[in-house]
Formats: sequence, C-alpha cells, structure tokens
Amino acid sequence: MIDTLIQDSLTIANKALSHHQHSVKSIDIWMWIAFVEFGILIFLLGKGGFKSKETARQKFKKESLKQEIDFSNIINSSFNSIQLYDELKVKCHPDKFSTDKEKYDIAEALFQEITKNKTNIKRLCELKIEATQKLNINF
Amino acid sequence: MLNNTWNSIVDWFRDRSERNRLLRSFNESARSSFVSGVAPTLLKATISKGEQSYRHQFSDWLNTGFRIQAFTGRVLSKDELIHIGKVILNDSILVRRLIVLGWDTLEIHGDAGSFGCRWQLKDYIPLPNF
Repeated sequence: MIDTLIQDSLTIANKALSHHQHSVKSIDIWMWIAFVEFGILIFLLGKGGFKSKETARQKFKKESLKQEIDFSNIINSSFNSIQLYDELKVKCHPDKFSTDKEKYDIAEALFQEITKNKTNIKRLCELKIEATQKLNINF
Repeated sequence: MLNNTWNSIVDWFRDRSERNRLLRSFNESARSSFVSGVAPTLLKATISKGEQSYRHQFSDWLNTGFRIQAFTGRVLSKDELIHIGKVILNDSILVRRLIVLGWDTLEIHGDAGSFGCRWQLKDYIPLPNF
C-alpha cells in the first residue's frame, strides 16, 4: 500500500515537473516572438519616421553640391567689376537714347541687366558685347 | 535607426572633405589670379569661429565662420570690404554651398587693422524647413 502511494506521488511529481518544463519552453518561444515584433517595430519606425526627413534634407544638400562654382570669376569680380559697371552704367543709360524708341527699350533692358549683375564681371563682359552690337556703343 | 546613425557619420566625414576642397579651390584660384595679375590683392579663405546668433539648420557645432582675408598690407576701407562681401553674397551657388556645408557667417577683413565685416549667410538664400 505504501509502495503504491510512493509510486503515485513520484508519477505526480514527474508529471508536475514535465508540465513546468513545457510551460518554461512556451514562455521562451513567446519571449522570442516579442523580441522579433519589437525589432520589426523599430525597423518600421526608423524607416518611416526618420528617413523621410533625412531624404528631404539630403536631397537639398545633394542638389547644392552638384552645381559648379566659378571661383576665378568671383575673385576677378571682387577687384575689377566696379570699373566695368561704372563704365557700362554711364554708356548704356536709357536717357542717352531718348530720341530712338527702339534703342531706348534695348538700353532699358540692358541697363536693368547691368544693375542686376553689377558684381559679376563675366556677365558684365557679355553685356558689354551685347551693348556694342545692339546699341553701336564704342568702348 | 542604425542606418540613420551610419548615414550621419558618413555625411559628417563627407562634409569635412567637401569643406576642405572648397577652401582649397578658393585659395588656389585666388593665388593664380594674384600671380597672373588679374587680382591686385591676394585673398585667403580660412575657417573661423563664426557668430553664434547666425545659426541655421545646417550649421556645424563649431567653427561656422567662412573668413576671407585680403593681404593688402594696408587697412581696407569699409567700401572695399563690403564690395568683396557683396560679390560673394551675390553668387547664389556659392552661398548655397557654404550654407549646406555648415557655415553660417561670412567674414571679410584685411591683414592690417582690426576692422572687418561679417554677414549672416541665411539672409541671402531662402532655406526650406525640414
């Protein structure tokens, strides 16, 4: 009688242990599933939340870095554009062509362009050539 | 997130390289213009501390000033300083490049005297809000 009781208690204890081990294994699986979900969430947040902001900023940066800068024109303009601008603004002033309507209009457009580009010697040189051709001015 | 951090690190190094390349190109052009006689004065671009109140969204943490020094051997007049500054500020491509590379202040001064001029770069180009 005692033997059977001991055997029963042992089988119950074994059953209880095996059940506990099974539940521990199932907790492990759920923990890993939670980790994977967390990882997916972070990935999606990172992709959707931050990337759009970065791309707009990077796009602006990329576009700005693409354009070429003419440093020699900038340095040349720093010292020589004032003289050329002064010469052009006197010789191409629209009031000098007040008798000829057609030339007056050309001079007015040229004068506006000269004022707009008064610190860009390259453009001023182009305008000088244009003025010589269109307004017959001798520089 | 990791990707963004990595991109930021790569961008930072790329910006350093671009900044140095811009300075080098400017100084080389200035030197060749001076040697060939196109420019009567030698200009030299360096990085300076910059003005804290001129900051914008692209500003670097430190050294945000783009300083141009004119080696004339005399004190430059205010008009001369302003003209050099205006030539640079009227070049929208250069101003845009300076802003994007983290500069926010343009400083012009001569090699003699303590007087100089400085401008806030963000005033000369419309910056989008990110």
